[in-house]
Amino acid sequence: MIEYDEFENKMVLKLVYYGPALSGKTTNLLSLHDILDQDGRGDLTVLDTKDDRTIFFDLLPFFLTAPSGLKIKLKVFTVPGQVKHDATRKAVLQRADGVAFIADSQLSEETNNSESFSNLEKNLEFVGLDIEKLPLVIQFNKRDLTNIINEDDITRIWEPTGIPVVLSSALAGHGVVETFRRLVELTYGHIDRKYLLGANHGLDKNMFMQKLTGGTVNDAGFKDNRHIAAEY
Amino acid sequence: MIEDNQGVQYDYVVGEEKQLNELIKGPDIMPLLKSAVNAGASSAALVNSAGETLFRYGDTDREAGLTVKKPVYLEGETAGHIIINGHSDRKHLLEAIGELMFNAVKIILQSNFKTLLATETHKTVVYQSYEELIETNRKLKLSEGKYRELASSLEKQVQERTEELNRAHARLLHQEKLVSVGQLAAGVAHEINNPLGFISSNINTLNQYVLKLKEMLSFYHAAFDKKGPSGECVEESKEKWKRLKLDFVFKDVDDLIKESLDGAQRVKKIVSDLKGFSHIDEDHESDADINAEIDRTLNVLTHEIPQEVEIVKDYGKLPSFSCNPAHICQAFFNIILNALQAGAKGLTLRIATRSANNMIAIHFSDNGPGIPESIRNRIFEPFFTTKEVGKGTGMGLNVTFEIITSYRGAIEVESEAGKGTTFSIMLPLPQKVENV
Ligand SMILES: Nc1nc2c(ncn2[C@@H]2O[C@H](COP(=O)(O)OP(=O)(O)O)[C@@H](O)[C@H]2O)c(=O)[nH]1
Ligand SMILES: [Mg+2]
Repeated sequence: MIEYDEFENKMVLKLVYYGPALSGKTTNLLSLHDILDQDGRGDLTVLDTKDDRTIFFDLLPFFLTAPSGLKIKLKVFTVPGQVKHDATRKAVLQRADGVAFIADSQLSEETNNSESFSNLEKNLEFVGLDIEKLPLVIQFNKRDLTNIINEDDITRIWEPTGIPVVLSSALAGHGVVETFRRLVELTYGHIDRKYLLGANHGLDKNMFMQKLTGGTVNDAGFKDNRHIAAEY
Repeated sequence: MIEDNQGVQYDYVVGEEKQLNELIKGPDIMPLLKSAVNAGASSAALVNSAGETLFRYGDTDREAGLTVKKPVYLEGETAGHIIINGHSDRKHLLEAIGELMFNAVKIILQSNFKTLLATETHKTVVYQSYEELIETNRKLKLSEGKYRELASSLEKQVQERTEELNRAHARLLHQEKLVSVGQLAAGVAHEINNPLGFISSNINTLNQYVLKLKEMLSFYHAAFDKKGPSGECVEESKEKWKRLKLDFVFKDVDDLIKESLDGAQRVKKIVSDLKGFSHIDEDHESDADINAEIDRTLNVLTHEIPQEVEIVKDYGKLPSFSCNPAHICQAFFNIILNALQAGAKGLTLRIATRSANNMIAIHFSDNGPGIPESIRNRIFEPFFTTKEVGKGTGMGLNVTFEIITSYRGAIEVESEAGKGTTFSIMLPLPQKVENV
């Protein structure tokens, strides 16, 4: 959590889209920005320079107010994927309330995915976050391409970990809201345990999710990811 | 505070909340506020979300009048407001200033927000030299250079915007006037139609009656001539026939009736042209014959065309053109009127139509005084007029331009001083679908 100001009655949360370079993190935020209602979200700030890809991060803020009057701001960040930007990744990851790991489904990217995931584990530990407890969702992006890892393999590898998996095509906007929704759901549980959002602020899980992801058509994810998602 | 094995300290958390006053400084905002006042506001200010004034410029005593308030968004949340005060009779101007300030502040904030995030990340976490930081910020600045320009040209922009607004307003009024004139004309035309109907029909009947009367009268006349009851009566009849000039009356009554019927016919045509011109009956697209529409327009203009003006028609065979005929007539009307009003003695207006290359081309050439080169490229602008103030609306050719371009057509003007002017209109025909 970035900050909780009791006096101002304001809470600022942080979600991070992590993953290897070019896996589609920025595209996820662009799609979310396009799909989700204008109401309750701010503009997307993309911090890139002209001749470089994301060297810093992107930011998409959301807002909601609980029935108690508690103002909640949710800032969604991406990290730069390149290995050399590890310091920026750590800074962005600090005090995160949830992480979406965006993997590139292409077979050629398998090594990059696993290196980036190890990097996430290492950096979470570094900034003092417990990967076992932190809300975490995995997205296998670019399902629209050929030469991609098949669903059975994904299930076999990730089912034992208990981490929810969503298949997506961020470019087409499929599975983007589903990923966000699952992350927001887990994050609610995590925050509610400590800050009693439901009991003290009249903000239950449904309301929280409705306010953040409402105003959208039901986004079922890419093709038939349903059975994967349902197993967790 | 966390420190990694390379000694970098992480006391900085990406995502910390920022305040408006951290992101916008005097040098950013003061020139804008100043420009707002120079442009005609009495004061301009930036206040934060608590309503505290962060920056202000201008006369603070005279707060009465009108206030325009625009939000300032930071990360999507309202972080404050821009407040523009001024005279209540400057509503349009103040709104225009407010709108420009809103956009300018938005750009400044976005740009400063990016720079701040980048710089903080740099200073605290990224191993890059100071030079590299400068370079990164320079690149970020490239995309923001726009707002500096904005600040310096705000005044000019406000002026332009105000003129634009005034023009739009006047144009609206003018359009309303056009519409009401059209409606009036159509209404009058409608009113004329009814009496005109019975006038024609009565004259026709009268003609029949007169024929009968003439026949009977002729019969009596002939009979009296031959074997009248007494000489006295015959003489009296002859004398009366002569005095009443009945030979002439018999001849003239036919002409009178024929002329009246022609006249009624002409009124009928004018009414129908007027109705057709304002197209009260059909306000929609139809397949129009451009030549016929030009004729229709000329008919409506008959009273405007002096005797000595010669109209030469050189019509080619044209395919039908799908359009709203009322609009097309209006477009021709303004060009023809323009040529007539340029008013040279011995004016010849030549109207040529051709069809070629999937286009209909219409040329209006006159031998008038021509359009000076200095204003030639301005004549299609709204409210551009060379006529005395109050005489022309300056809308005519602009309306033509708008209409022609709305059909994806083009209009060009060629002119030579003292020699005349040619307006050429090109109307594209829909692409033919070839059968395979
Ligand atoms: N085919 C395909 N391309 C994608 C998809 N998502 C992202 N991309 C492309 O992958 C490239 C990198 O995306 P970007 O979002 O910038 O990656 P980031 O480095 O993780 O932020 C871009 O060219 C995207 O258009 C996807 O679902 N399908
Ligand atoms: Mg990116």
